[in-house]
Amino acid sequence: MSTQAPDNPAPPTSPPAVASPGTTPSATPAAGALALEERTTKRRLADSRPTTRLGQLREDLSFLRGRGALEIGGITAVVVVAFVVASLVAPGDFPFLNQSNFSGVLSQSIPVLAILAIGAGVLMIAGEFDLSLGAVIGLSAIVFIRVSNSSGWPIAFVAAIAVAVGAAVINGLIVVLTRIPSFIATLGMAFFWTGVSIFVNGLTPAVFNPGVKTETMNTLFAGDFGWWRTQLLWLVGVGVLVWFLLHRHRWGNKVYAVGGNPAAAAAVSIKPKTVRLQAFAFMGLMVGLASVLIAVRTSGMQPATTGDYTLLAIAAAVVGGCSLTGGRGTLLGMIIGAALIRLIENGLILGKAPGFYVQLFVGVSIVVAAVFNKLMEGKAT
Amino acid sequence: MTATPTPLLELQGVTKRYGANTVLDDVSFTIGRGEVVGLLGDNGAGKSTLVKIMSGVVPMTSGGYVWEGEPVAKVTRPETERLGVETIFQDSALIPSMTITRNIFAGREITNRLGFMKIRKMDDITTEILDTVVSIEGIKSAKQLVGSLSGGQAQAVAIARAVHFKRSLLILDEPTSALAVRATEALLNYLVALKGEGVSSVLVTHNLHHAYQVCDRHIVMNHGRKILDTRREDTSVEELTAAVVEGAEGVERFRLDKPLAQA
Repeated sequence: MSTQAPDNPAPPTSPPAVASPGTTPSATPAAGALALEERTTKRRLADSRPTTRLGQLREDLSFLRGRGALEIGGITAVVVVAFVVASLVAPGDFPFLNQSNFSGVLSQSIPVLAILAIGAGVLMIAGEFDLSLGAVIGLSAIVFIRVSNSSGWPIAFVAAIAVAVGAAVINGLIVVLTRIPSFIATLGMAFFWTGVSIFVNGLTPAVFNPGVKTETMNTLFAGDFGWWRTQLLWLVGVGVLVWFLLHRHRWGNKVYAVGGNPAAAAAVSIKPKTVRLQAFAFMGLMVGLASVLIAVRTSGMQPATTGDYTLLAIAAAVVGGCSLTGGRGTLLGMIIGAALIRLIENGLILGKAPGFYVQLFVGVSIVVAAVFNKLMEGKAT
Repeated sequence: MTATPTPLLELQGVTKRYGANTVLDDVSFTIGRGEVVGLLGDNGAGKSTLVKIMSGVVPMTSGGYVWEGEPVAKVTRPETERLGVETIFQDSALIPSMTITRNIFAGREITNRLGFMKIRKMDDITTEILDTVVSIEGIKSAKQLVGSLSGGQAQAVAIARAVHFKRSLLILDEPTSALAVRATEALLNYLVALKGEGVSSVLVTHNLHHAYQVCDRHIVMNHGRKILDTRREDTSVEELTAAVVEGAEGVERFRLDKPLAQA
């Protein structure tokens, strides 16, 4: 008896209502019956909803707080303003606004990293990592260059994307089917894909044959128009599409659900394994695109030289508010994270700081951002 | 209150093993259309596993799942969802990092033909069901993250979701554990009201008083076996208590001790 002490006894009020189950009037709308007596006295949720456009916008903004992008966006804005001021005050010592530097950062190095960060970030929201991202860039770029040489760039573009998606799906299958943590599985696969690119190409750099790099190809993937370059357009296009996919399409909702609580997702008929595999494939798509942008700009690719991109992309996603445990992150955050890392990197170079400062900064920023995200998780509304 | 000829759901000899560990051992029972069934038992009796099997989240090792007389070959969550089964899980099965709206519609989003969500419409419905179905003390907006809600509020969201999507069977696994007294009462009354719509429910609870109040039939589990399956008219809180606390011996003792009390 004593172990079964009820946490509260049968409510003394209106026991007959429930004691005669057979006589319940079926005409009463069941849902309405639940809160019947409270409705008259209590403030309803519907009453507090904003009705004006401005009110809705304000509500949306207030619920955006604590979800990553806003805080890091503020920091990035401060950095940009500081750089612009420094460049205006001392154009010689800190040539941030110099045309080639400005467009090189803003529309070349930031977009490429941002596209990679979008790939890594969406995968992180789904609760997985891919540490072979950098290695696959190398492989995919080599495929692009070599196929361009033999069959022209349109076929090469498709081939490069296919290789990157294929590699990512293989990584994903290993993770999903064996349930090995993706950290370990893809760490191993990073070496494997590097090995594959050396196997395919040898250790010498893959380069475009003379005449292969046409004007069209160059304009499309690495066009330089003075103050801006084509890569920026790629980022804008990818950004808009992925924003709709991640934040407005039901697929995005599934990605968040699977990363946030796989068991709860499965309980509403979402298939966590399928969604994770799709997230891997999506990352492959981003990696393939980025690898083409990189290959065309650099005109060549040496195997085993793209490993750095892995941590840069993951760092950008984390700095942008993606949770290391899945379920959290925004598209805007990923792009801003990439921008902040590239801006600081550029600032260090312009300030003639030694190269290792960049690594130092990236390392510290991952840790600080991860701690910050952890702190914010409890405060988000 | 007579059971319909063909029950809504019939479980036949359901057994669940995890390795050498038998969690459910040959459990059979029926749930009639519009019936409220109480599923009782101490911790480790196998109630939650049974709930997961009934809702298709966990596969059974062996046994039959017969829906309206038709055996269901593979009991998966998409299949039970198709049949109209909704479950409020003990751990509420919500996603803390998502908004209330997105939680309620996760996997069942209202979209256009291309799969893009109608967020405004989903927010409206969420607000509507939170206002009408459950007590929403302290919830500010449908856009709030579930992670920022209290245990009771999160439970209310889980209840709202199940209530919104249920069509034939509502399973509640310890739904009242995090609820305030008034909300609990409202929920129990709601189960009774559901019968009028022909919707059955299974109430899993530790609280025998809650169960006895609303259930037409009580099933008591003990160490993975069904030890008692009795209609409300044929039992008492005392007998149910004896069954839950002492197991099969309790039922035996109770029937021997008090043959006259029953008559």
